[in-house]
Amino acid sequence: MAKRRIAFYLMTVPALVLFFAFHTYPALQGIFYSFTNWDGYSASYDFVGFKNFVNIFKDANVINSYVFTFKYAIVTTILINVLSLLIALGLNSKIKFKNFFRGVYFLPNILSVLIVGFIFNYLFANVFTVWGAKLGSEFLSQNILGNQNWAWIGIVIVAVWQGIAFNTILYLAGLQTIPRDLYEASSLDGASRFREFWSITFPLLASFFTINMVLAMKGGLMVFDQIVALTGGGPGRATQSIALLIYTGGFQGGEFAYQSANAVIYFIVIVVISAIQLKFLQKREMDL
Amino acid sequence: MKKVLLPLLAGVLTMSMLSACGNSSEGSGGKVKIEFFQNKTEAKATFDKLIAKFNEENPTIKVSQVNPPDAETVLKTRVAKKDVPDVIGLGATDTYSSLAKSGLFEDFTNDPMVKNIQPAYVDMLKKQTGLAELNGIPFSANASGILYNKAIFKDLGIEVPKTWDELIAAADKIKAAGKNPFYFTLKDSWTTLVPFNSFTPNIVGLDFFNKRKEGSTTFKDAFREVAEKQLKLTEYGQKDQFGKGYNDGNTAFAKGDAAMYIQGVWAIPEIQKANPSIELGIFPLPATNDPSKNMLVSGVDTLLTVSKSSKHKEEAKKFIEFLLKSENSQQYINEQKAFSAVQGVTQSDPSVADLNGAFESGKLVDFADHYIPGAMKVDTLIQDFMQKKDIDQYLSTLDTEWDKVADRK
Repeated sequence: MAKRRIAFYLMTVPALVLFFAFHTYPALQGIFYSFTNWDGYSASYDFVGFKNFVNIFKDANVINSYVFTFKYAIVTTILINVLSLLIALGLNSKIKFKNFFRGVYFLPNILSVLIVGFIFNYLFANVFTVWGAKLGSEFLSQNILGNQNWAWIGIVIVAVWQGIAFNTILYLAGLQTIPRDLYEASSLDGASRFREFWSITFPLLASFFTINMVLAMKGGLMVFDQIVALTGGGPGRATQSIALLIYTGGFQGGEFAYQSANAVIYFIVIVVISAIQLKFLQKREMDL
Repeated sequence: MKKVLLPLLAGVLTMSMLSACGNSSEGSGGKVKIEFFQNKTEAKATFDKLIAKFNEENPTIKVSQVNPPDAETVLKTRVAKKDVPDVIGLGATDTYSSLAKSGLFEDFTNDPMVKNIQPAYVDMLKKQTGLAELNGIPFSANASGILYNKAIFKDLGIEVPKTWDELIAAADKIKAAGKNPFYFTLKDSWTTLVPFNSFTPNIVGLDFFNKRKEGSTTFKDAFREVAEKQLKLTEYGQKDQFGKGYNDGNTAFAKGDAAMYIQGVWAIPEIQKANPSIELGIFPLPATNDPSKNMLVSGVDTLLTVSKSSKHKEEAKKFIEFLLKSENSQQYINEQKAFSAVQGVTQSDPSVADLNGAFESGKLVDFADHYIPGAMKVDTLIQDFMQKKDIDQYLSTLDTEWDKVADRK
């Protein structure tokens, strides 16, 4: 028994040490710095108490980035889940070249976000605009990423295109856990396809739905790479997400402590959202 | 928590990787290893050649170049980790002034190497940091203004404009001929700084920023003309200005899509790469109607400095001395289409010949954004203004952002 316990420790301790060293400790450091005025490179700093936190709430740029991030996260979460569920249903049915299509739909997931971003950046600027001009539309012949009101839609398109892949795989796995005989029984009862989906498929996918909602929402709230590759936060500050603001302000703007305070607040916000989401969605799972 | 972490972790990883290559200062065979960290991707190949030459001449020293992407950010994280490279090549940016102010670099005030440097650039560095001591040696200079397509100008019979009115008249003429007068790349926010930097010193003057610090003036009082003129120019731009970035602009200008392109000399090699046969020139942006007042915006593109914490200061200085030799400086500016800060080394490339007059007469003025705190992200403010075209709102945002950043210090 003791030997087995040692084996368990050997399995968990390295991961725990790494996690603490590269995750917990820097996070605690970040909280510490948020009470100072450190600029990120000076040898010395002073404690300023809650001054950084007070300034955060007075900063319109922070509020602006919160509005953008939540708008973006909610829209991508909904789109990714609806579309990937539809694709998963299609890929789970009896179609020709099923495995080929599964491979194709998974492809975006193995590409790097930055590479996809740079490719789309080129497409938005030089390809879609030409198509738009051919259609004779003034709006479509302009780069959507250069438009202050619509640039965020461009980022949503890229994020959804790439994000669907992973969620589709999860839904597909979920669909295969549903026993066939339930569908046979329902077809004997004369249920329509829509009824079948609503009363059998969707409820039995509940746990996968939870996972996908939480993952997509988390991905949306942490959006960073796509924006760096597509707009750099512009035009103006129209697509500046919270993560991007923390990074640019903290490292390029020399306001490390101030943006650490921003990060601490954002950490609390994310914890609260995740807790609510899990509680709400898991309750739905229990009801079944 | 990931929010705090991602950047931190990235920083830690970069630092550990970099320190892995930089730390072993006493290497094999008793050679002194010097790390040369510089921020210009375009200059990497040229520096590599010069370093190879130096290493050959000095068998006891081995210089190696480090040129990471987003170099200024990497440098700041390394400073935070107290792992400062021996020799640093940097633009005279806000990063340089804030690092210099935190006392990171050697003092070169009385160094004999400075004697041979153009005094205008030495003054610029001192003025920028506001320190009595000189913390870097200017190595090369750049200039920004209006790049123009000589063929289009000749076809339409346009002379190089010397005043603001002449510039607008030229733009009208080009527009009437059915061509784009200017090509703007407003998708990349930093490119909005190029016209801003030309207007500000000529219309407002760089002492504005000190006065603003003291609180005796505001952007609202002083910057209206700068804002109006910058906005006016966008009327002469191509379609979809907000959708095009710097690389698109270089290619489009090279193909002759526009007659003028507000950029710096650093774009010339890129443009010539896209169209080797293009005939182009550059002239200072005439910000006012008084030609004697219109100065050329030219700043220190690369300065060289040694970190105080370096263990091999002597060898590091020897390397800087080597780079400052006329023949090496000449090789650098020839390949980079830049200008030398070393006295007596001149740029003879025909594309930049129009600027030699300004260099000889010393009608030079520094980049305005070097005087604005980085945290203000003034480029995004200008980009935002270009979209909304609301001058009043823009000016008051400049003021509130300036105060906000000052307040957080």
